[in-house]
Amino acid sequence: MTEISTPSHKRSRLNPTLARYLQAFTTPKGQIALALIVLLAGVALLAPVIYPQGHDLQTRDSLLPVSWAHPFGTDELGRDILVRSIYGLRTDLALASVAVPISMILGTFLGLSGALSPRLGVLVQRALDIIVGFPGLILAICVVLVLGAGWTALLVAIVVGGLPSFGRLARATLLSQQHQEYVIAARTLGVDKWRIMVRHILPNAIDPIIVQGAVFVVAAVFTEAALSIVGLGLQPPEPSLGILLNIGMRYITIAPFYILGPTLILLLLALAFSLLADALNRTVNRT
Amino acid sequence: MIAVMDVLTPPAQPLLKVEHLTTTFDAGKVSVKAVTDVSFDVFPGRVVGIVGESGSGKSVTARSIMGLLRAPGRVREGRVLLNGRNLIDLPEGEMRRIRGKQIAMVFQDPQAALNPVMRVGDQIAEALMVHGADAGSARDRAKALLAQVGIPDVERTIDQYPHEFSGGMRQRVVIAIALANDPALLIADEPTTALDVTIQAQILRLLADLGRELNVSIIMITHDMGVVAELCDDLIVMYGGRVVEQGPVRDIFANPRHPYTAALLKAVPRLDTAGDDPLIAIPGAPPVPLRLPPGCAFHPRCSNAVDKCRVEVPPLAPMGDERRSACWVAMAGGDVAPVAAEATMRARHGEREREPALRIEGLRTNVARPGGFLRTSDPVYAVDGVSLEVYPGETLGLVGESGCGKSTLSRTIMGINAVSEGRISVARRDVTAMEPEDRRQVSTTIQYIFQDPFASLNPRRTIGQSITEALNVVGITGAAAETRMVELLERVGLSQDYVPRYPYELSGGQRQRVGIARALSANPRILICDEPVSALDVSIQAQIISLLEELRDDLGLGYLFIAHDLSVVRHISDRVAVMYLGRIVEIGTAEEVYGNPQHPYTVALLSSTPEPNPDRSVENRTILTGDMPSPARPPSGCRFRTRCPIGPAFRSEREICNTTSPDLVETPNGQKAACHFAGEAEPGKA
Repeated sequence: MTEISTPSHKRSRLNPTLARYLQAFTTPKGQIALALIVLLAGVALLAPVIYPQGHDLQTRDSLLPVSWAHPFGTDELGRDILVRSIYGLRTDLALASVAVPISMILGTFLGLSGALSPRLGVLVQRALDIIVGFPGLILAICVVLVLGAGWTALLVAIVVGGLPSFGRLARATLLSQQHQEYVIAARTLGVDKWRIMVRHILPNAIDPIIVQGAVFVVAAVFTEAALSIVGLGLQPPEPSLGILLNIGMRYITIAPFYILGPTLILLLLALAFSLLADALNRTVNRT
Repeated sequence: MIAVMDVLTPPAQPLLKVEHLTTTFDAGKVSVKAVTDVSFDVFPGRVVGIVGESGSGKSVTARSIMGLLRAPGRVREGRVLLNGRNLIDLPEGEMRRIRGKQIAMVFQDPQAALNPVMRVGDQIAEALMVHGADAGSARDRAKALLAQVGIPDVERTIDQYPHEFSGGMRQRVVIAIALANDPALLIADEPTTALDVTIQAQILRLLADLGRELNVSIIMITHDMGVVAELCDDLIVMYGGRVVEQGPVRDIFANPRHPYTAALLKAVPRLDTAGDDPLIAIPGAPPVPLRLPPGCAFHPRCSNAVDKCRVEVPPLAPMGDERRSACWVAMAGGDVAPVAAEATMRARHGEREREPALRIEGLRTNVARPGGFLRTSDPVYAVDGVSLEVYPGETLGLVGESGCGKSTLSRTIMGINAVSEGRISVARRDVTAMEPEDRRQVSTTIQYIFQDPFASLNPRRTIGQSITEALNVVGITGAAAETRMVELLERVGLSQDYVPRYPYELSGGQRQRVGIARALSANPRILICDEPVSALDVSIQAQIISLLEELRDDLGLGYLFIAHDLSVVRHISDRVAVMYLGRIVEIGTAEEVYGNPQHPYTVALLSSTPEPNPDRSVENRTILTGDMPSPARPPSGCRFRTRCPIGPAFRSEREICNTTSPDLVETPNGQKAACHFAGEAEPGKA
């Protein structure tokens, strides 16, 4: 009973999972996404350094058109719209970077709850169905009506809105993996349900969840904008991309350039994360 | 029938002549030779078997002949002459006219080979119409073909879809399609591997009959020496992409002239020998085409290798009449019989403990899908009243065809399926009545070995992590777990180098060893082995069987050994239970059950199993007709009566079989059998 040992392969020092995701940034799409995100996040982070006077500096030059001094023009109170857009971006990125991970983690565990008890899993899915049943904006408005407009309400609205997609992706993985022999093997060994869920099922769910996370950043920013446009998001003078659009719409006949800048930033943000999601998707599905 | 063929002297002109065929797969700068310098002839009306393990190049050879190589595979050198015409480099349009018309192919998986959304009649007609038949005559011919391959009630079945057919019936349809244009050559790539043994016997007999009636030559690609002995006239043995031995089947079986062939024949357990003489396992694993050893590809596993074998590739040299072999030792006139590494006769525990470690009484398992809110579903009992016992240090073999409930039984014992009725006792404690927490405590004394070593290890976790997890469950952690893990790996013949590796880096046999090590980590008393070797290459099976036997005898483990391969079960088992449609129909010691089977189903199973013995009479066989009924609608009375060769289907006066289910009672021969007319069935009487 001799075993012929197979030649051992070279293993990279880097954590293989992380290395796999990083490969996304070797593709052109991933590189553009990375460049855009670094640019946008960098500007947002450094906003207080670049514009130490803050976003609320009022002048008499209200509703100026686009010029070198004010690349995006000025608003009804004579504030520079570029400055306000950057501070708005700061708000939106902060919101997304808190809400998206919460929604991701919560949604994934709700989706995997079926591993602990099949009945709980079914119940959770029906609850997620109810969330899906509401149009996104209506759902967000309901949340705001209950909690009152503000940061918390926005956060909750975004988190709840994202739960169904994360929950269902995780559920799909659970359903396909729980009958895999290695999961059954772990069960027959007596490994407890929590460990099976975390060690054997969760790792398979991470790929689609990460991609969906990048997609959902865009949705989160749009949710903020949509709520702010109808006046239920953050309240002025707090800047956010949505609030800028909200006010800009009122002046669209006399100052059409008002909404141009915030829209551009919103689009760049959406483009960056869409490309990132695309690049990640291609990378994780290739290997 | 084979005897008849042997009398015919092969005509001078071969139908198919393969000369120096070399096929490579190119990926970038790397060129992998999958097939190297393969030459053989197929004469009209002969059945040529190509045997080999995974990676031996047997399927690539077939695809090269058919011109069906997938990119980046291509034929580098050589010619394939069909009636003197070279098929290699023929334009695709020309090749299409030959495919189906002159050479037809039967694939392994009939499910995948048939279009699920086309009626079977249309699929056969399509094969005819692409070669110029009109719709009306094609349909008539389709009916004739279906009748010819033994499909009943053709007028109705011709308009059915593939899902309405059973696996065996589908394979008959695939054969009908292949025969549609009266091809001169049929290439069958593992045509019975996906089928049950009684169905396999039906298909093999069909192929043999068709070959004789229609004078079709057949190239039979298989890994099963039994199938070769049953069906083939000539044999080609492939290893590492080369032909290592070729010649008439009888001569090769009687006197193999290549160590690989000789070892393979020794490594396969046989139905007609008891388990006392140990299998001589071939060490190591078949080579991967990418990393072929230098010299003779078999030398690292060969017990007879000499220095020359390690450096120089032996040519395929003539060895007497019609025989050729590629071996330096054989060329020098040396002995090629495998040398057993050490005498592995082990003393079995003489006296068996009289306390069963596992006792099952009247077990029933409902596998019906749970009903919804408003409807309740009718119960489907895949296991319907099974009682058996497993003692420490013994092996209880459990045989039966797919769908008989043997896997459901094992999963119920492990607690994966819920018990509907009956009791499971582990070490005299009833686990069915236990709280889950207690149950887990007890059930670690039973462990499970899975069929598929590829699926049963988490691909994302290293071998070390997988085993450590199992050790943590039984409370061994930290440094103690580390030590124990290395012990376990060494116990199953793996070094501790394997700890940081991932499953994809291991071969099938090595993975199955890991699976066994993991099962042993809980210190079980009973192992349930669910088809533990059926996913492995033939030469690896013997290694795993020997390992399991060694562990049983050293550790006093009791095995419930589930398999469809009767030869393997005979080799390892002390007692054997035969299961049909959720019930045990016969149970007794291996000698009793195999030596003098009492239940007609057991008789048919034994008779259907192909044996690596070309001299066995093929005529005197009990081959069952039809398929196993669904457990959702079991027949009344005796469940086997619909297929029973001595039952009311053949003897209408036997009314009792229709009305009364027979009990499992002791027969004069010693074993228990559930048949009103136990002991009456004999092979060949049907």
